[in-house]
Amino acid sequence: MHKRFDPIEGLTSIIIEAVMSSEDMPADEGLLFKLRLAVEEAVENIVNYAYSDGAGYLEADTSVKDGVLSIVLQDAGVPFNPLDKEDPDITLSAEDRPIGGLGIFLCKKLMDSVEYEFVNGCNKLTIRKRIA
Amino acid sequence: MNVTINQKGHAYEVVLEGRLDTTTAPKFQEDITPLMQVSKAEIIVDCAKLEYTSSQGLRLFLMLQKSVLKNGGSLVMKNMSAAVKEVFDITGFSNIITIQ
Repeated sequence: MHKRFDPIEGLTSIIIEAVMSSEDMPADEGLLFKLRLAVEEAVENIVNYAYSDGAGYLEADTSVKDGVLSIVLQDAGVPFNPLDKEDPDITLSAEDRPIGGLGIFLCKKLMDSVEYEFVNGCNKLTIRKRIA
Repeated sequence: MNVTINQKGHAYEVVLEGRLDTTTAPKFQEDITPLMQVSKAEIIVDCAKLEYTSSQGLRLFLMLQKSVLKNGGSLVMKNMSAAVKEVFDITGFSNIITIQ
């Protein structure tokens, strides 16, 4: 699947549904739950932070090779590596836990790999999960 | 997502149905904001029909937990699916929110 959304402002759920309806997605519900979560967290991050005015694009690609699903999200927004963020301290008490900051952590934990590159002026996030 | 809140005295039963995600979280936040002001609220969240939660849902459950601790109430989440429970386990939320 290859899809381009431009501009992306306000399209978070439309982009998520487009990726989740890709023919490359598995049928297994448990896997779909994890993939939806990973896609939501990654897409939301881009829609909210890539472009200060929301006026920019996002390209989503999915493919399967040797039983591994790859989801690639690219944007030309502010260079930003979401993987630079430190993992949350999950041992803190409820009083001490900060609100938020769990999205990309969940994406990393639920997928087999999440990689970031800055190529040709674009942010490129590649999410991989074995589905067969 | 459907949110139903049944109140009996200090007891509040919050029944969730559907997907708690980036689209539905703002409405859920509106629904539970009044509960965060109640003193000694005993809140039970029934997750039997909660199909999914993203980090947007988690942040609201944490806000609710913080509010009951501050207001002398309690929060119990019950009937969680294995998939939703896994999200709570991975993020350490199973240790800070009572799950039955």
